Amino acid sequence: MSPDEPLRPDPDALLAATPRPGRGRLKVFLGMAPGVGKTYEMLRAARRRKAEGGDVVVGVVETHGRRETQSLLRGLDVMGRAPIDYRGRTLLEFDIDGAIARRPELLLVDEYAHSNVPGSRHEKRWQDVEEILGAGIDVWTTLNVQHLESLKEVVWRITGVRQRETVPDSALSRADEIELIDITPSELRQRMAEGKVYMADTARIAAERFFKPENLTALRELALRRAAQTVDDQLLGAMKRAGVQGPWAAGERILVLVGPDAVAGSLVRAGRRLSDMMMDAPWVVAHVERPNAPAPSPTASARLNDALKLADQLGGSTVVLTGDDLVTATLDYARLNNVTQIVVGKSTLPRRNPFRKSLITSLLDASQGAALHVVTEQAEAEPAAPRTPRRSLRSWPWMGHLGALGLVGLATAVAALTDRISDDANLAMFFMLGVLASGLTLGLWPALTAAAVSAFVYNFFFLDPRLTIWIGHPADVLTFAVFFVAALVTGWLTGRVRDQGRAVSRRAAAVAALLAASRRLSSAVGHAAAAQVLAEQLAAATNGAAVVLTPGEDDIVLSAAAPPLDALTSMDFAAARWAWEKGEPAGAGTGTLPNSAWTFRPLQGGKARAGVAGVEPHAVQAEEDARFVGALLDQGAVALERAEFAAQAADAQALLRSDRLRSALLNSVSHDLRTPLSTVLGSVTTLLDYGKSLDKATQRDLMLSIREEAERLNRYVGDLLDMTRLEGGALVTRRDWVDLRDVLRAAVDRVSRRLETRQIIRDFPPELTMVKADPSLLEQALVNILENAVAYSPDGSRIEVAAYEDRANVVIAIEDEGRGIPTAELERVFEKFRRMEEATDRGKGAGLGLAISKGFVEAMGGRIAAASPIHDGRGTRILISLPKEHQTPEQLL
Amino acid sequence: MSAHKPRVLVIDDEPQIHRFLGPALEAAGYEHVRADTATEGLREIARKAPDAVVLDLGLPDMDGKAALEKARAFYDGPILILSARDRETEKIDALDLGADDYVEKPFGVGELLARLRVAMRHRLHRVGAEPIVEAGDLRIDMIKRLVSKAGVALHLSPKEYDLLVQLVEGSGKVVTHRQLLTAVWGPAHTEDVQYLRVFIAQLRQKIEPDPSAPTLIATEPGVGYRWLG
Repeated sequence: MSPDEPLRPDPDALLAATPRPGRGRLKVFLGMAPGVGKTYEMLRAARRRKAEGGDVVVGVVETHGRRETQSLLRGLDVMGRAPIDYRGRTLLEFDIDGAIARRPELLLVDEYAHSNVPGSRHEKRWQDVEEILGAGIDVWTTLNVQHLESLKEVVWRITGVRQRETVPDSALSRADEIELIDITPSELRQRMAEGKVYMADTARIAAERFFKPENLTALRELALRRAAQTVDDQLLGAMKRAGVQGPWAAGERILVLVGPDAVAGSLVRAGRRLSDMMMDAPWVVAHVERPNAPAPSPTASARLNDALKLADQLGGSTVVLTGDDLVTATLDYARLNNVTQIVVGKSTLPRRNPFRKSLITSLLDASQGAALHVVTEQAEAEPAAPRTPRRSLRSWPWMGHLGALGLVGLATAVAALTDRISDDANLAMFFMLGVLASGLTLGLWPALTAAAVSAFVYNFFFLDPRLTIWIGHPADVLTFAVFFVAALVTGWLTGRVRDQGRAVSRRAAAVAALLAASRRLSSAVGHAAAAQVLAEQLAAATNGAAVVLTPGEDDIVLSAAAPPLDALTSMDFAAARWAWEKGEPAGAGTGTLPNSAWTFRPLQGGKARAGVAGVEPHAVQAEEDARFVGALLDQGAVALERAEFAAQAADAQALLRSDRLRSALLNSVSHDLRTPLSTVLGSVTTLLDYGKSLDKATQRDLMLSIREEAERLNRYVGDLLDMTRLEGGALVTRRDWVDLRDVLRAAVDRVSRRLETRQIIRDFPPELTMVKADPSLLEQALVNILENAVAYSPDGSRIEVAAYEDRANVVIAIEDEGRGIPTAELERVFEKFRRMEEATDRGKGAGLGLAISKGFVEAMGGRIAAASPIHDGRGTRILISLPKEHQTPEQLL
Repeated sequence: MSAHKPRVLVIDDEPQIHRFLGPALEAAGYEHVRADTATEGLREIARKAPDAVVLDLGLPDMDGKAALEKARAFYDGPILILSARDRETEKIDALDLGADDYVEKPFGVGELLARLRVAMRHRLHRVGAEPIVEAGDLRIDMIKRLVSKAGVALHLSPKEYDLLVQLVEGSGKVVTHRQLLTAVWGPAHTEDVQYLRVFIAQLRQKIEPDPSAPTLIATEPGVGYRWLG
C-alpha cells in the first residue's frame, strides 16, 4: 500500500474475516508432543459446552485406554464408527457421512493428522474435517506440532524421527481458534514415567529417544512459536481489516528456485519458513525450464512435480519459467514481480563446467536489491535418489559417441586415401567434415568426442613424425592447435544447432498436437460429439484410457469414453462426483478417494463447470505431458460449454419459431376471416339501406359478391380445419384405387368458376396406371394448387395440367404463367402462412393451401415439389408424384 | 351547401370493399372515387380534391399511418379510418395523427355513412365557427365563457370548461385521450388518462340531463370521447 493512498480496509482481509455462509468454525488444541493432555482438555471443554446446552457430539476420540479420558466421555454423545474393508480385514474408521447426517452444532474429531484407512473417502482426516466444516458444522480437533508439514524436517533434525502423518500448514491456518495445551517438559516426562502417556510397546525405545528433555524443549518452543504466530496473524488480520497501517513488512516477496533434484522439497519448506518469518509474505516457487537442456529423467521430473505440489500444499504459488539461461530467467522474473528474497539450494545446478561461474555467484553478481538465501541443507535421505538426473541420457548417447567414432574413422580412411595428393591442411578439412557431420546428426556431446578423437588421429597419423603423438615441425604445432580448437568450436556449434532444432521440433509437435486437438474439438457438432472427441484426445495424449462425464438430469453421467466403457464402478463414480461437486481433482493420485482407478479433474468452462474428465493415473507423468493434458482439459471444457450454449440457442430458436407461427395464425385468422365478413356485411347493409335506389345489375352484383365471399369464408374455414387435422394427427386416409385423370378432372371442375379468362390445358395420356390414393384428399390437394395457380397468374394466361408416369411413379404437373417464385422462397412455399405478395384479387388466401396439399400428398405416401421459373423467367410448376403399387388391379384380375 | 355531389375517395386494397361501397356511396348521393393502393390514393387526393377520404390502414404498399401523415401534409378535409379491432393502437395513433374518425371492420354501410356525414359537417362548422353552441337546454357561450342549463348559470372549474370546449369543438368527432390531455393539462400529462375519467365524470354531473346515461358526451372505450350535442 503506498503511503499517500487513503487507508482503506483490505478487502481480502474483510472477506477472509466474514465467515463463509454455512461454514463451521474450527478450533485446534495444539500440543508439543503426545501426552500433554490435548484430548483431555478438549473433552473437558466439550462437557462444559454441553452443560451450557450445546449440541455436542464426539465423532472420534482416541482414549488410548487412559481412564481419566475415558471417564470424560461418559454422558457425551459418541458416534459409532464406519466399517471399512481393507485387504480382507474390516477396520473401523471415523464415520464422516454419519457425522454430516447427524448435523450437531459441534463435532469432536481427535487427531487432526491421522491418516485414514485406504479405501476411505479421504486420505487424511484433516480432509474429512474440511468437508464437515463445509457442511456448516463446528469442529474441535487436536494436533501435535511435529505433524505440521513445514516443520517436518526441523522435527526430524531435532528428534531424528521422521513424521509420516503430516498436516499441510494451510489446514492449521484455516483454524479459527488455536488453544495451546502447554506443560513443562519435566512435567511431561513425569507423566510418562507414571505411565500416563500412551505408547505402543514396540515403539517404546524410539519413543524414549523422542521424549528426551532437550527434544521436548525444542518442540515446546516450536509449538509456542506456532501458536504465537497464529495470534500474530489474527492481530495482523484485525489491523488490516481496520485499515491500520501496520508494521508488517509490506512488499516482501519470496522466490524459491527449485530444480529436479533432491533438495527441492527442503527448499520449498525453507521458502515457507522464510515467508512465516516475514509475516506471511507471498512466496513463489519457480522452476526454470531450459528449452535446450535435455529432458529430465522421469524420477527427476516426478521429484520436481512433488516439490511444486508441496508448495501448493504449504500455501505458496508456483510458476514455471522458460529460458536458456537460468540466471537471466530467474532475475527477469524477480524484477518484474518485485521479488525481495531469493532462495536457492547449493546443488540446484549441477556444475557441469568448472570454468563457469556457479549459479550462486552469478545470482549474487546480477541480483540487485534482492536478498539471496542459500540453503546448504543435505538432500533428504530418500532411498534410491540417483545423484545424476541424466540417467536416461546415458543409455543412448553411447550410440551417439560410437557413431561419432565411426564418422572419424571414415574421415581417417578418406584422408589416408588422398594423403598422397593433398597437403596436411586439406586432410584436416576431412576431419573437420567428420566433426561437422557428428554435430549435425548426433548432437553436442558426440560432436565434442569426434573433435577430440579427430585431433588425436590427425596428429597420430598425418603429422610428422607419423604414428607418434609427437609433432616434429613447430609450424605443425600451430596447425594442430588451430585444428583442435576449430574442431571443438565446430562440434560445439553444430551440436548445439542440432539439439536446439530437436527441441524446437519437439515443441512444434506438441503445439501442432494441441492445435489439431482444438480443431477437432471446435469442429465437433453437438455436446455428445465434443465429449467423445475430448475423451479420444485425452486417451491419445496420455497413452491410456479416458472418460468424460457431463451433467445429466440430476447427476453427472458418463457421456464419453475412449476406449468405450459401459459404466464406472461406484468408487470411481463417487470420485468423479466429488470432482464435479467440489471443482477439485479427485481419485487416484489425489487426497480424495485415492483408491479409485481414475484421476478425475473438473472441466472448468468460462461460466460454469462443464463436466469431469478422468484419465488413468499412471498415464500422466512428464510435466510437459501434464501441461498438454491441462490445456486439453481447458479446451474441452470450453468446447463442451459451447456445445451446451448452442443447444440452448437452438431450443430458444425453436420456441421463437413456434411463437411466430402462433402470431401468424392469429394474423391470418383476424385478416382472412374479417375481410370476407366485411364484404358480406357491407353488401347486405347496402342492399338493405339503399336497395330501392340501386339498379337490378348492381343489386345482383352485390348478391354475387356476398355469395363469393361466403364461399371464400367457407374455404378458409375448411383450410383451417384441414390444417388442424393434419397437425393434430387426426387425418384418416382411405386409400383406394384411383385413376388420377378422374381426380384431376374433378379438381379442374371445382375451380372452373374462378378461372374467368384463364385457360386450362389438359395433357393426359390415353393410358395411365392406377395408384392407391384417397380421392377426396387428393382432389383437395389439387384444388389448392389450382387455386394458387389462378391467384398468382394474370388474366388470359394458360394453366397446364398434365399427368404422366415413369417406372415407379405416376406424376401430376400443374404449371401456370404467373411471375414465378424467387429461388430463395422456393423451399418455403409449402410452409404454413407463407403467401406471396401481389396475388391477384380473387385468390388471396390464408397461405395454407400449399401446406395442406403437401400434408395430404405426404399422408398418402407421395411427394410434392415446386419448380420456378420454368419459361422465360416466369411460371411455376408444382409436381405431385405418387408411388405405383407393386401390383395393380389389372394385374390382379 | 355546394352544388356538386360531395366526392368521397375510398382507399382500400380489397376490391370487394369497393364493390359494395361504390353503389352505396352513389346511392347516398356521393361521388365514389376508387384507389387500390396508398400511392394511388395520395395521387387521387391531390388530383381530385375529394370532400372526404376513407382510408384502410392495412394497405400493401405503405403503412396506413405513413399514408395518413403524407396526406395530412397537403389535405385538410375529413379522413375516416377503416381498421380492424386488433389494431387498436394503430387506430389511436391514426387519430392522433389527424384522422377524424374511425370505423371498425366489419361495418355496416349505414354506420360508415353516418360517421362520414358527421365528419363533413364538423368541417363545415369549423369554417363558420359559431361562438354559441346549444344542445337541448344547455347553452355554451364561448365568447363570454359562460355555460348555462335551462337559463341557470353553471359553475365549471377552468379545467372542466376547457375540456368541454375541446369536445364541443370536436363536434361529433372522436377526440383522443392524448389530444384532450395535451390541450387541457399540457404535453407532460399525455398518459394521465385517470384525470380525464375524473373530470369527465364531474362534467357529466353538471351538464348531462341524466349523468348515468350520458347523451352529450359519449365514451369511446380505450380511444377517447365524442361530443354528441
